[in-house]
Amino acid sequence: MFDTSRLWRQFLSSSWLQAGAMGLLATVLAFGLWAAASTTFTALDWAAYDFWLTDRAPIPVSPSLLIVTRDPASEEEFGTGPWDRAIFARLLTSAHESGALAIGLDHRLDHASPAQLGGAASDALLLEAISTAGPIVVVQSPDATFASNTTIVGHLLVTAHSDHVARAVPVAATGDRQSVPAFGIALYEAFQQQTSPMKPSLSEGGTASLLVNYVGNGTIDAFPTVPMSSVWNAIEHHESDRLTEWFNGKVVVFLPNPIAGGSSLLSTGQTVTSSVVHLHVLNMLLTDNRLYQLGAASHSLITLLVAGLVAWLLLQFRGTTSLLFAGMASATYGALILLALVAAHLVLPLAMPLTAALLVLVGTTIWSHLTAHQRLMLLEQDMLRLQQEAAAVREALVLRETRAETLQEDLAVARTAITQSTGRQEELTRSTDLLRTQLADAQTQEEEARRKLEGLEQQLHSLRAATSEPLAIGDVELDRLRDECRQLGIITQDAGLLRLYRDLKKGAKSPLTVLVLGEPGTGKELFARAVHRLSPRTGKTFIAVNMAAISPELFESELFGHSKGSFTGATADRRGYFELANHGTIFLDEIGDLRLDHQSKLLRVLQERSFYRVGATIPTTVDVRIVAATNRDLQRGVSEGWFREDLYFRLTGLVFRLPPLRERTGDVLILAAIFLTEIAGQMGKPVPKLSNEALRALVEHEWRGNVREFRHCLEQAIALNDGPLLTKESLRLGNASASPAGQAKPSQILPDPASDTAVLNCLRQHGFDMQATAKTLGWDRSTVTQRLKGLSFQALVEANGNQAQAAATLAGDPSLTRTVELKLMDYYDHLLTTIQPFATVAEALLDCKRRFKNLPDRHFRSVETLVRQYFRQDKPTSLELRKGF
Amino acid sequence: MRRRLVLVTLLFASFITRFPVHSSFAQAPENAPPPVIETPPPSSETSPAPVPADEHRLPELLPHEPEDAVMVLGELRNAVRVSPNSADGRLKLAQGLYRIGDLDAALDECRVALKLRSNDARAYLQLGVILLAKQDGHAAAIALMEAILLDPELTHAHYSLGSVQYSLGHLTAAIQSYRRALELQPNFPDARYRLALVLKLTNRHQEAAQFMEEAAIGGVPQAQYFMGNAYRNGQGVEKNLPLAIRWWTNAVEFGQQRAAESLSQLRRQALSPDQSERRRKDAIEAFSQYRNELWADYPGTVRSDASESLGIALLKDSQASNGITALFAEAFALSETAQDELARLYETGLDTRLAQFDRRILACFATTAADGFIPSKKALARIYGKGLGVTPDLQKAKTMLKGLSKQEAKAILDEIAGR
Repeated sequence: MFDTSRLWRQFLSSSWLQAGAMGLLATVLAFGLWAAASTTFTALDWAAYDFWLTDRAPIPVSPSLLIVTRDPASEEEFGTGPWDRAIFARLLTSAHESGALAIGLDHRLDHASPAQLGGAASDALLLEAISTAGPIVVVQSPDATFASNTTIVGHLLVTAHSDHVARAVPVAATGDRQSVPAFGIALYEAFQQQTSPMKPSLSEGGTASLLVNYVGNGTIDAFPTVPMSSVWNAIEHHESDRLTEWFNGKVVVFLPNPIAGGSSLLSTGQTVTSSVVHLHVLNMLLTDNRLYQLGAASHSLITLLVAGLVAWLLLQFRGTTSLLFAGMASATYGALILLALVAAHLVLPLAMPLTAALLVLVGTTIWSHLTAHQRLMLLEQDMLRLQQEAAAVREALVLRETRAETLQEDLAVARTAITQSTGRQEELTRSTDLLRTQLADAQTQEEEARRKLEGLEQQLHSLRAATSEPLAIGDVELDRLRDECRQLGIITQDAGLLRLYRDLKKGAKSPLTVLVLGEPGTGKELFARAVHRLSPRTGKTFIAVNMAAISPELFESELFGHSKGSFTGATADRRGYFELANHGTIFLDEIGDLRLDHQSKLLRVLQERSFYRVGATIPTTVDVRIVAATNRDLQRGVSEGWFREDLYFRLTGLVFRLPPLRERTGDVLILAAIFLTEIAGQMGKPVPKLSNEALRALVEHEWRGNVREFRHCLEQAIALNDGPLLTKESLRLGNASASPAGQAKPSQILPDPASDTAVLNCLRQHGFDMQATAKTLGWDRSTVTQRLKGLSFQALVEANGNQAQAAATLAGDPSLTRTVELKLMDYYDHLLTTIQPFATVAEALLDCKRRFKNLPDRHFRSVETLVRQYFRQDKPTSLELRKGF
Repeated sequence: MRRRLVLVTLLFASFITRFPVHSSFAQAPENAPPPVIETPPPSSETSPAPVPADEHRLPELLPHEPEDAVMVLGELRNAVRVSPNSADGRLKLAQGLYRIGDLDAALDECRVALKLRSNDARAYLQLGVILLAKQDGHAAAIALMEAILLDPELTHAHYSLGSVQYSLGHLTAAIQSYRRALELQPNFPDARYRLALVLKLTNRHQEAAQFMEEAAIGGVPQAQYFMGNAYRNGQGVEKNLPLAIRWWTNAVEFGQQRAAESLSQLRRQALSPDQSERRRKDAIEAFSQYRNELWADYPGTVRSDASESLGIALLKDSQASNGITALFAEAFALSETAQDELARLYETGLDTRLAQFDRRILACFATTAADGFIPSKKALARIYGKGLGVTPDLQKAKTMLKGLSKQEAKAILDEIAGR
């Protein structure tokens, strides 16, 4: 049952099979039709041949053929009935003597001559003549009275088709004992044996019948003939020249029987005797104008092919196109028939293939209607199956892809481990030696360079003094400012900062509120103090208040003071920072961290220079210079709503923005020299030198904590270093810079959203095809993989371990969810296999760090979270979870 | 006896069925009745008049002069009127009617005779012969078989039955009949000839040649012609062209035109420049050998040299008749000496044996000249040029000289002019 339905399905889905079956059926039907109306079909089948025969250029008459016919004059001489055989004997002998190569005689040796026609003597004469004149082709008769081993009998049969038209001659007629060749063929073969004996016999060719290629209209008139009486006269008068001219080297056929009338109807519409048809066969063979026809098997095969082709065209291209194609195929076949006939003299069947094609046309239409619904169903099934297959293939692809990537990662890890372990030792020993020598060189060179520098500076100084005034003023001014700064604890030779200082110096004299902006450690407080020192209030009090450090409850009390008994614990009157700074300067540090309610209270003080102590009823008025500082962007605070705008405008009397250390790298060396001396002095250690590498590292380092960080770094280095030289390693810049950067954004799990979003979008566009995405982004494929891996981990963390949800989030498009889920599962699997062998989180993380070293740092936090989650859960559970995927 | 009854019944049945049809054609035929036995066509060659070997033929079946036959017929009718119940009289009348070709009337007479005497073998024979002449082979066979049943010794019935069997295509039966006739009458050359023909047609060439030779020796000219053919083709005998020439010459003497034709053919083979050298040489040698062998026919004649003519030798030996025959034979066999002698004899004549300007000599010259024999051409040119026994015809003489060398032609023309 299953097989049948499968076969049926196969059949319906293959247009070739259907076309074959249809063609076969049509062929069988066409044969049936043929049998039913054979005359019509035969006539139709041979229409091309008949048409061609009548309307083509006539074929030539062989010059080797001579036909001697019975004429009225000879009838006068020999009588109107049958002739004496002695006459034939003489004709044959003469023809032979005159050099005829092959002789045919349209006469049967089937009866004894009656006495009035010469009787036995004439018979004997004829046989004698036959034996002397060599092989003579005579007409076969069923009951031959005489036999001679020098006669060749040929039959005069003509194959009339069922439309009664004679078109072919059987090559051989099988009698009782032997097969008899056709008269014309026998003559041709006798002639061939005389001229070229090596040629193979025609009757051995295997064809049953030979199509006749008629000369002219197919009658005897188409041939040039010689009347019997002329020949007889020539013989009688011994005109050997004429006889030789006629007969020499020719195939001579004597037609002593009347040739009028006849029973064979030709395609040309003429009726001739069978001997004339055989003469045409002979001429056709002599002039090598053979026609070829196909056997019944080839006939059927061609019909089948044409029908099959038409059926296929109709099935393959439906609608009008198919009809057009089928029509074209039929027309092409028609043209082929004509072409084969003209070019190859091959007669192809016409009626059967075209009938079959017509049947196919009808059959196909019916068939299409009958099977349309079923075909539709099959198509739907196929579509479903294909979709399933495609999904399966995609899954397999994803799995393989990720597996390959995992393996690549492992391989890379292994490789680096190997190279590290082998290369490190050698490198270390070599580099220490090298470094020692380099160090010694460097120290001596440094000494020399410093000496030279000092010399050069002195020279420069003297030169400057000698050169023009305006230039000297600038430099002198800067030097002065630098010196002033140094006195104020500001160590810099940066022109920008010095200019800022100059402005500050000018501004300090006014009573305006000063706002100092800058990153932490840029020296905001130093500048605030400088404002105080440089202002007329320099002899008065300078109070520095860190607004972030004051507890909110005590804000008012601390800043404005309180009266005795105003709250629990207020045992005496207390002056606030503002009162303390009266006539002096108050420095409000970290003003950006002030709460909004406190901001409004502060605003009042700044506006009116008066305030109420806590619990007091009388306002206190103070004369105070306010200097504020912050590392936060207050303008943004205003727009975001966490800083009052009126306060902001009140504060921005004079604004100074201190540059970060990384923007004035020129100060790094001076600062380093001063700090080293200071710190070493504090620690009681000799002042260490900085190696060139260390110096470069200090300059190049991005000092997020600015001078403060810089100083701490040096402190740490000096504290931990024993030698006289501070190398790059001893500065520990890597750790120092990494950890603050990591700590700067502790809560930020989602990294650089723009970039990741872009990558994710690109991945979505390419249906999570790594290769394509990598190509589009112009990245390495593994980079894309790492990004996706990171995103996957992150999404997993966000979805609390729900992989389906995480995949859906990442995929965006539901059609891609499965693909992403597979990848995600695989990444997570890999992670689990990596951390499984470890007992503690720390070990696992260490290994992860090594293994996922290419993962962006921001994503590593997700890894950490996942690892922690894993260790928090029971391991078996997670394993089960994995199995569940 | 029973068999005979059956045969008779069959015979009558055939009469009853055929009679009405034949009666409508019973009028005297316009053409002479076809001969029962082949007769040689009239000779065109002016060879010595052939003497037919009449003693071997059936005298009653031979056609006589028509005047005689009509007179005899009247007598026979009178005899029948006198005694109408005489079967013999009726039979004789039937013979007479048969001779003049009134086959239907002859048939009627035969039937009446058979009614009068039903066991007459000769009557049946007569009936069979007439039926054979009427081409009713089956009826003829039945009548002849009846005759043989009545008289198994009737040679002529066997012979005729052979012919009937042959015409019916029963070759084996024909052979048997001829053999039986020969057993009864061994000295029957015609039967031998017929038997030889049928044997030949059944491809028993050796046996056929044997019987044919006997018939030829017996004087049947057709047999002689066929014998000549057999020797030429080597059919049943060893190939021997001189013997072939001999038999053909013999046949020509009996007026066998075909033999003359064959001889002419052979002469052309010897003389025509178109023929291959080998064939020509064969033919020339054959004629030469034939001429030599002629000497053996006249053992008494002494031959002095190889090129000597037998005819001249015989003439010298006063055997005029034989000499002339031999001369003709030699001349036909391309002997230049004999030819010259005949040319001389043409002008002079030879006492009573040969007239001056004998037509036979002229015919001989014409025949051989047509075959391309130069001496004959020269002789004819002279005869026509000079008008020896013919009307002078210089044009014809010049035509004869065509193909000769210029000198020869000029010499002869000069000779003609010098007359």
